Amino acid sequence: MDVGGTFTDFVVTNTESRETGVHKVPTTPDDPSQGVITGLKEMCEHFDINAGDVHHILHGTTIATNAVLEYDGARTGLITTEGYRDILHIGRHQRPQHYSIMQDIPWQDRPLVRRAQRLTVPERMVPPNGEVLVPLDENAVRVASRQLKSDGVDSIAVCFLFSYLNPMHEERAREIIEAEHPDCFVTTSASVSPQFREFERFTTAAMNAFIGPKVRTYVNELESTLAAQGFCSAELHLMSSNGGVATAQMVAERPVITLLSGPTAGVMGGKLSGELLDRQNLITFDVGGTSADIGLIVNGTYSEASARDTWIGGYPVMAPTIDINTIGAGGGSIAYIDGGGAFRVGPESAGAHPGPAAYGHGGDRPTVTDAHLVLGRLLQGNFLGGEMNLDLAAAIGVIDGLARQLQLDREEAAEGIITVVNANMANAIRSRTVQKGHDPREFSLVAFGGAGPLHGVEVARILGIPEVIIPPYPGITSAVGLLTTDLKYDAIRTEFQTSVQINSDRLSNDFNRMQAELASQFEKGGLNEHDVTYTRSGDLRYIGQGYELRVPFADGPLDETILAEVFQAFETIHIREYGHVFEQSPIEIVNIRLTGSRRMAKIKLRPGEAKPGATLSAFEERPCFFRVDDSLQALDTPLYQREQLATGHRVTGPVIIVQKDTTIAVPPGASATADASNNLLIDTGV
Amino acid sequence: MKRTNGKVDHITASVIHGALENIAVEMGYKLMRMSYSSIIRESEDFGAALVDSEGRGLAESAQSTPLQSGPIPGYVRGALRALADRDETVNPGDVIMHNDAYAGASHGPDVAFIVPVFHEDELIAFATTTAHHLDIGALTPGSCGIVDAIDAYAEGLQFKAIKVYDAGKKVAPVWHLLRDNIRVSNLVVGDMEAQIAAARFGAEQLANLIERYGQPTFDAACAAVMDYSERLMRQAIAALPDGSYRATTYIDGYLDDPEPARRELPIMVTITIAGDQMTVDLTGTAAQVSDRPINMPLEGTVDIAIWLTVRSVLLDTAIHGHIPVNDGLVRPIHIVVPERCLANPEFPAPTIARFCPGNQLADTVMKALAQVAPTRVSAGVGNLRVIAFSGLQNSEHWVHMEIFEGSYGGRYGKDGMDAVDTLYANTRNNPIEDIESHLPLRVRRYELRENAYGAGEWRGGLGSIREFEYLSDGAAAVEGEGHKFPPWGFDGGKDGQVAGLQLVRIDGSRQDLPSKVPHTALKAGDRFICVGPAGGGYGDPFKRNPELVLDDVVDGVISPESAMRDFGVVISKDLVLDQSATAVLRDSRAS
Repeated sequence: MDVGGTFTDFVVTNTESRETGVHKVPTTPDDPSQGVITGLKEMCEHFDINAGDVHHILHGTTIATNAVLEYDGARTGLITTEGYRDILHIGRHQRPQHYSIMQDIPWQDRPLVRRAQRLTVPERMVPPNGEVLVPLDENAVRVASRQLKSDGVDSIAVCFLFSYLNPMHEERAREIIEAEHPDCFVTTSASVSPQFREFERFTTAAMNAFIGPKVRTYVNELESTLAAQGFCSAELHLMSSNGGVATAQMVAERPVITLLSGPTAGVMGGKLSGELLDRQNLITFDVGGTSADIGLIVNGTYSEASARDTWIGGYPVMAPTIDINTIGAGGGSIAYIDGGGAFRVGPESAGAHPGPAAYGHGGDRPTVTDAHLVLGRLLQGNFLGGEMNLDLAAAIGVIDGLARQLQLDREEAAEGIITVVNANMANAIRSRTVQKGHDPREFSLVAFGGAGPLHGVEVARILGIPEVIIPPYPGITSAVGLLTTDLKYDAIRTEFQTSVQINSDRLSNDFNRMQAELASQFEKGGLNEHDVTYTRSGDLRYIGQGYELRVPFADGPLDETILAEVFQAFETIHIREYGHVFEQSPIEIVNIRLTGSRRMAKIKLRPGEAKPGATLSAFEERPCFFRVDDSLQALDTPLYQREQLATGHRVTGPVIIVQKDTTIAVPPGASATADASNNLLIDTGV
Repeated sequence: MKRTNGKVDHITASVIHGALENIAVEMGYKLMRMSYSSIIRESEDFGAALVDSEGRGLAESAQSTPLQSGPIPGYVRGALRALADRDETVNPGDVIMHNDAYAGASHGPDVAFIVPVFHEDELIAFATTTAHHLDIGALTPGSCGIVDAIDAYAEGLQFKAIKVYDAGKKVAPVWHLLRDNIRVSNLVVGDMEAQIAAARFGAEQLANLIERYGQPTFDAACAAVMDYSERLMRQAIAALPDGSYRATTYIDGYLDDPEPARRELPIMVTITIAGDQMTVDLTGTAAQVSDRPINMPLEGTVDIAIWLTVRSVLLDTAIHGHIPVNDGLVRPIHIVVPERCLANPEFPAPTIARFCPGNQLADTVMKALAQVAPTRVSAGVGNLRVIAFSGLQNSEHWVHMEIFEGSYGGRYGKDGMDAVDTLYANTRNNPIEDIESHLPLRVRRYELRENAYGAGEWRGGLGSIREFEYLSDGAAAVEGEGHKFPPWGFDGGKDGQVAGLQLVRIDGSRQDLPSKVPHTALKAGDRFICVGPAGGGYGDPFKRNPELVLDDVVDGVISPESAMRDFGVVISKDLVLDQSATAVLRDSRAS
């Protein structure tokens, strides 16, 4: 079950019989668990499922994300090293905007912990090994805890310098706080993200503290409600930002790991479609009403964002997160001529309310959805599975207004909106691929979300991508993605070891220690450590550089051969990503990482069936506008229902294919084939 | 060869413009991630931009700092002039190195690498990166705090349009020269290689873009986006009432110098609005200091400082959204500066330490604009300081430059930003955990400065206190401003607080330092206490919402006594606001 902004989506699957069903209910924003429970009950009734027979419940939630974005979290305290009270406030001393006097600075204007509740205690550690320079003043911790308690604080972050080298002081402080203030939610910075860069680590810890109590309550209540509803043998797992799921207990302790879980589940769903088709290189393209999320899968695996690239609500977060790029381009993106006379589409969106003019809820500015409707690519009667009738006259009205400003025909103006929004999307994809040294032409584009399948082919063509994949349920790909995940935890340790002077014993020991840590986490969740597979990697850079590249490490003892391979792999990645290599420069291992994952049961769809001899006939034919040979033409376009296309059926553009939660545009020159994997494969003709 | 004039529709223009910005951003991304020295990759003191064949800016990288990207078109124009003077031509495969502060460069350490873009044998554009290098072979280590350079020759190597690759072939002697004349040359040359790789990447992408659309359409789209930015700026200027608005502020200069002409130097700005044009006249600014490097290159520093403030006030990103930065944006702004003035020096007057005077100029422009756009400015801004830390370990130099933040003045409806980089600088500090892991330095303190502020209805931003200790023998050099003149208060707001710098020696002796200190030897255990400036206040402090004053007291940034004295707000010892006593106190002052 995946809670989105508008709908909560459900997919139920029987992993033995491969029977799968889908369901949707409106999201209940004030208390998302209501929608979740209602939907679960409805679904069980509809598919005749006995709650007690459900073994796994996988849940994508935005509860943590929303708490940050809405700045609605706990009254939070901070205990930090004496002399460094305002690390959270000063940050990196950089303004978010270069050219602005009136800007806000999120960590100053919306502090996760206000200064009055940022208290300091004597203690100090130093590199390289976290030697104690100033011992922890335990009494000062006690006094600070009491003060914070009397201030009404119910969540405390303990953030000491260099704790990633030696967490002893933070852990001792945690014990003292827990003794003084047993109801308090306590977070230590090294337990949340044991890596260097104090502002980012402290912020991550403060954010964990800020959202902790709320998420803990949500998770606990959901668990008990599920039990009360008879889901007694079901394990609850929640989607985390690293592409795996975590136990409810783990999320209750470390809610920051779920901050980007929504778009992550989408990438996982897109990845499933690619796997079923044996495609190794995928760009996932999830387009909704306000934004497009772009993910990248190379050689069958998704990449993780670098620790310095993840931001939420304007705050930096250092939690393992898969690399997703979000841009403000979607069905609701508004098209306008700005004050200087430039034509723009987005990032402002009409959202769900009032939504595009075509929704008929009072939207009076032209959007991408209105443009599709005017061009004939969207059907008035098939929006959201027929639950909403689109208002063509209203769409024509707003597009005509824009056309007059642009001095273009109605359809030319509408197509202009699509052209600009497609170019924006293609730019974002080009960044994620070319930037990482990948040629987009070697990828397949998996297009989903309500609006992805309308844009997929044209965006792919801009980038020279030969193939677009449309998953079986494009509108609920995130919910499907939840059913493809493994239980996955990460450990990280900062090393700062260099290729010229390396202590491989220390590296090996640290990997072993991390493995023991993860094993105990899995065991806490009641799991046998033997079912867990571990993957090693490291963050490397040339000495002096400030950004690291992720490099895989082989298993086994870290002898010279393996390390030489690691450094070689680093140089290969460096040249691919930056187009340059610094000959003979020493390399630094900044962090080492270990990921443990334990396989879980996964969705398996029944293969589609061919219907030999069945003829395919359009349920309607109507004029749709497409550009052919540089002129925009109204072409007679057949319309099909997705269900009409049995395995092996092939249709040639122009064609529009409709299904309950999306509309697929196959322009002239492209052709679409229904595959046995239940995906629709579109040859873009480039 | 005359180029054909193409036409472009709105939609194609928008698509090409998006692609241009994307390329500039990509260049910046690669440079920042590849580079070695913290001044580039952590402080982000680098630039990346695309420039047309006539030296007009087309797009700049969003991450780079304004004082780096902004000057790039000037670098290209300056390099082209130098090449033309020597009858050299630009060929495919060339990479041109340039840092001439009297020909477009911002100052010597900011070195540009310029890569030309050809289409069908015709020069169409340039992809260029700039970056602040750790050392450029000046008289003392580092490239900051060279405050006693007496002329341009003392500032380090001068590159006047030097080809480091000639038609694709590496010019080896130049590289030998660089390695032999620059300290920490491994880092510096590595950064230069990174700059070239990023510029080449941009050039390749740009060539593809031109190929895709054809040169006439490309040119027309570039013209359209420049015209667009120009229109926005003209509209913003036209919305201001015509007239002349003057402001003066002072820089410290060399506070400990016996020579009065080197101390307390005025910067005077007169802004004249006439319709949709603006003239910024610096007449009245101090004469150049011929043997000290606080002179500001007119092209590369002065112009950038002026444009930065004008656009940050008139086309504030927080209000107007993203505005394309290109040549069009600055067309309506005319700059007038007398010759041999601090802001228009004559060669070979030194310029290497122009950073803080230039930021003071940006602040003075805001002070003039405050008279005509009072709700869009901040009160006086606290200026910056830079310390170059250095030393020798096993006969190898280490150099680390750290920029010490300032703070903004109060704003209409908002307090000033605390402890940030200001105006044309927008760099980042270095993590303490990074510094101490790699350098013989310890950061002993990093906090907000308490009980020092510019009182106002909207209080000025708070300064910071940062303390650095040497763990082994080394040296330091300092360049900064703001030790003598506090940031100005506005509209009834009080002035802010000056910055300070103390040197505490291992023997316990303490010394207050001026804002400029040439290379000075230090012992292990010596430490600097760097006290940041507090921005000016905006509006009458006795009109400040008492709840906000209470918040400040609770947060420990002002004392209850100060609350009463400076804001007329009565707060008890147990931190309770006394509304009625406050009203009485405030009324008594009013009458």
